[in-house]
Amino acid sequence: MKDSLQKPNIPVYIALSVGGILMLFPFVWMILTAFKTNAEAMQIPPVIFPSEWKIDSFLQAMESLPFPKLYLNTALMIFFRILCAVVFSSMAGYAFAKIEFPLKKVLFGIVLLQMMLPSQIFIIPQYQMLAKLGMTETIFGLVFPGLVSAFGTFFLRQIYLGIPDEIGEAAQLDGCNRWKTFVSVMLPLTWSGIAALSVFTAVFAYGDLMWPLIVNTDVNMMTLSSGLSTLNGQFVTNFPVLMAGSVLAMLPMLILYMIFQRQFIEGVAMTGGK
Amino acid sequence: MNSKKRNRSDMFWGYLMVAPTILGLLILNIYPFIETFIRSLSKTKAFGKYEFQGLMNYQEMFTSEEFWKATWNSIWFCVLTVPVGIFLALLLAVLLNAKIAGRGIFRTIYFLPMVVAPAAVAMVWKWMFNAEFGIINSIFGTEIRWLTDPKIVLITCAVVSIWSSVGYDAILLLSGIQNISPYYYEAASLDGAGKVKQFFCITVPMVSPTLFVVIIMRLMASLRVYDLIYMMVDQANPALTDAQSLMYLFYRESFIAGNKGYGSAIVIWTVFLIAIVTALQFIGQKKWVNYEV
Amino acid sequence: MKKQVKRILSAVALGGMLLTAAGCGSSNGSADGVVNLTFQIWDVGQKPGMQAMCDAYTEKNPNVKIQVQVAGWNEYWTKLEAAAIGNKLPDIFWMHTNEILKYADNGMLEDVSDLIETDKFSEISLQNAQGSDGKLYGVPKDKDVICLVYNADLFDQAGVAYPDDSWTWDDLISASQQIYDATGKYGYMAYADEQLGYWNFVYQNGGYILNEDKTKAGFDQPATQQAMEFYIGLQDYDWCPDQAYFGEQAPGTAFLSGQGAMYFEGTWNLLPMLQNNPELNGKLQVAALPAAPDPVSGDGRATISNGLCYAMSANNKNEEIVKDVLKFFGSEEAQRIQGESGAAIPAYEGLEETWASAFEGYDIDVSGVAAMFDYSVQSVNNASRPEWKSKVSDQLLKIYSDQVSLEQGLANMQSIIDEASAG
Repeated sequence: MKDSLQKPNIPVYIALSVGGILMLFPFVWMILTAFKTNAEAMQIPPVIFPSEWKIDSFLQAMESLPFPKLYLNTALMIFFRILCAVVFSSMAGYAFAKIEFPLKKVLFGIVLLQMMLPSQIFIIPQYQMLAKLGMTETIFGLVFPGLVSAFGTFFLRQIYLGIPDEIGEAAQLDGCNRWKTFVSVMLPLTWSGIAALSVFTAVFAYGDLMWPLIVNTDVNMMTLSSGLSTLNGQFVTNFPVLMAGSVLAMLPMLILYMIFQRQFIEGVAMTGGK
Repeated sequence: MNSKKRNRSDMFWGYLMVAPTILGLLILNIYPFIETFIRSLSKTKAFGKYEFQGLMNYQEMFTSEEFWKATWNSIWFCVLTVPVGIFLALLLAVLLNAKIAGRGIFRTIYFLPMVVAPAAVAMVWKWMFNAEFGIINSIFGTEIRWLTDPKIVLITCAVVSIWSSVGYDAILLLSGIQNISPYYYEAASLDGAGKVKQFFCITVPMVSPTLFVVIIMRLMASLRVYDLIYMMVDQANPALTDAQSLMYLFYRESFIAGNKGYGSAIVIWTVFLIAIVTALQFIGQKKWVNYEV
Repeated sequence: MKKQVKRILSAVALGGMLLTAAGCGSSNGSADGVVNLTFQIWDVGQKPGMQAMCDAYTEKNPNVKIQVQVAGWNEYWTKLEAAAIGNKLPDIFWMHTNEILKYADNGMLEDVSDLIETDKFSEISLQNAQGSDGKLYGVPKDKDVICLVYNADLFDQAGVAYPDDSWTWDDLISASQQIYDATGKYGYMAYADEQLGYWNFVYQNGGYILNEDKTKAGFDQPATQQAMEFYIGLQDYDWCPDQAYFGEQAPGTAFLSGQGAMYFEGTWNLLPMLQNNPELNGKLQVAALPAAPDPVSGDGRATISNGLCYAMSANNKNEEIVKDVLKFFGSEEAQRIQGESGAAIPAYEGLEETWASAFEGYDIDVSGVAAMFDYSVQSVNNASRPEWKSKVSDQLLKIYSDQVSLEQGLANMQSIIDEASAG
């Protein structure tokens, strides 16, 4: 195990570096463009570095959008969507994987069916439900389609399937009922799965564009994605401003991700080392 | 414990634990889907009114050249993205699992696309692929029309799709790989198995449950691709019909042309396609997915 | 175990409470007699102007508060339709000629005929706000025309005289050629757009897209066919980029990067162009559209004129108040506020100069724009337009890329519109 650190890892480094450059390039270009003037950005052939590092585009983007509000709304939406996805999907995933009950296959079929359906068909019916509740222009409205997660259920079921039945059975022999077995024995074993699901829920919620655009049109109730797209409408031909907006939009997510990543990897490593 | 009583208690807990999810799905997703199905058999009028007309929409759809082109585009997009994307993600997960210095930095880099809004991703890629002002043609000294050449446009979209999803898939696979006990590898090393052999004989089988999830997710996402193509290829693009996926066609019919019945038929067809592909996967999984860890 | 259930349940409940707490403040009508109205628009650039109008109303009627909300063009219509089905339309919203007939003819909009002085608005402005029954379903907001935008620098470099009222299609071609020869930049950028492209040419040549009673298309008319052939043929000149080029950047983008010298632009975009691209100041100039040199009928002049209106839903519980707001929006005072903000040219006759005054800080002469309304043509529209719009534009792109011949493509466009219009 230890000696693998000294193994010849040059090919691994080369492969990762080449790929890494390809992955990073769009970001570099985004940042470089954000500091250019519009005329510079539209030059043929393209110039790599701005002649002068201007922050005007950032100021313009911040003037057009209430970024602190967008950060807060996005954070709240992500938090509640994760909460719902983790709580409900853990319960359902465990039940589908480890408990026998009639009609289980049919009910799981509903989960699979949802995963096949294109999300565009939900938009109008869900909007109408929300409008009936009088909850448009709220954080709840942003969370609404993510109250339950078919993907989370499917994913956590896979994780529970990977846990040997004997573990749960042992707990039950000790007198625990299903719920107790689930909460105190099985749930802690899926930590890495929950962490992964949280990340994906966050990523999906963060990238979701159509729904937030339609449900919340008050700029103070928008998310980063939807806010950014209104910027696109306003500065349709001003690339530096659009890029500056994109950079501002990804910044907090990036910082959170850097912090979160360490715990995430440690968590994954902890479960892996068991 | 009495086994009958235990069964009853299992039933109770089983239903209770799936109830929130199932109820939520029924209201939020299944009901709209049923509505879509009914619409597909109806002639729709403005503002949600419709009247039953049987299979007319399907008849119109199956005789439409545009529809078959869109079906082909969706399948072609799948072929372009899924095998390459999954292979790269698996490779990446294995490389990132290697015990090398600085892998934390590499992980950060590869997962970076996940923290950018797709709208921003499309914006910067579109800008880089631009035939006139773009950096890509400028670097390679080419004059390729990445976004408007009918033969190339879907490949361009596939590149962007793989770029944004490879880290996403790798993170899933990595969590699976890290759950593999190192003893398997040590035993294999002792038996003289090389890295490549270890990859195929230990890593792939052991990570197969996760791999299965990733493949299913990726296939479904590719067959119903919409956002990415919508953002990369706008409606004035002459290559539109060569890039238009089924869900893009649905969007244009339902939301722009207001032809909801016809659009619904396209959705039903798309779901049908996805269901077939998924069913094949579930049948096929018995041959290669290994749940005994 | 009960403890654990409780813990989870309380976490969920707490979450729910937070969600609901965040949802307060959006209900309209409250105890202190203040009525909150929502006003939905799609153009961020016009938000300040709209807000100024609302503020002016609130100043006179302190018990009415109006909140302006902006949604992007595509989401706007998705959302509005969903809201219409669910009977939750905003109190006031912008209406576009593309969609007004669909909404008005299906009884979604309130008849607002009594709210405005009809003699203060042009025939076209009123038509743009009418339903098929001829009643007014919106208070005219603004009016626009299409004009020729040119880059004065490129004209100077090539030594070509600036476009003026005497220009015909022939001048457009020769100037484009000269600019291309002298500078290597594109001349006139002919784009596969309707309102900003071929419609203008068709009407200049004496043709039409839809007949008088809007039941049949005009692509079988010689005048229309001739203009289409001319317009599509422009792409074959070296000085005109092809449609693949425009698939990546609209003519406006090419223009502001200095790659092309001329294109057609709507008046609503002039001020935003200058505001967002200060380096265009002085370069960007406007002129009237070139005339058809040899029209089948008419004098060869035409420009497409469109206009928005303010609409309200048919069953609004605050009907009287909303009507009063709309009445104000249609008054000279409110239209003046709109004009002075530079948002758009007020529909109210005689206020064109308020819009022109918004350009005072820029080196551009927009005084000629008002005269273009004299020969303007109402933007093409009928109830089935949403159905045929994208299909016709697909056909046009197919003609451009030689997938169908011009004759066949025009015949297809004709039958697409005729079939859709027949219901």
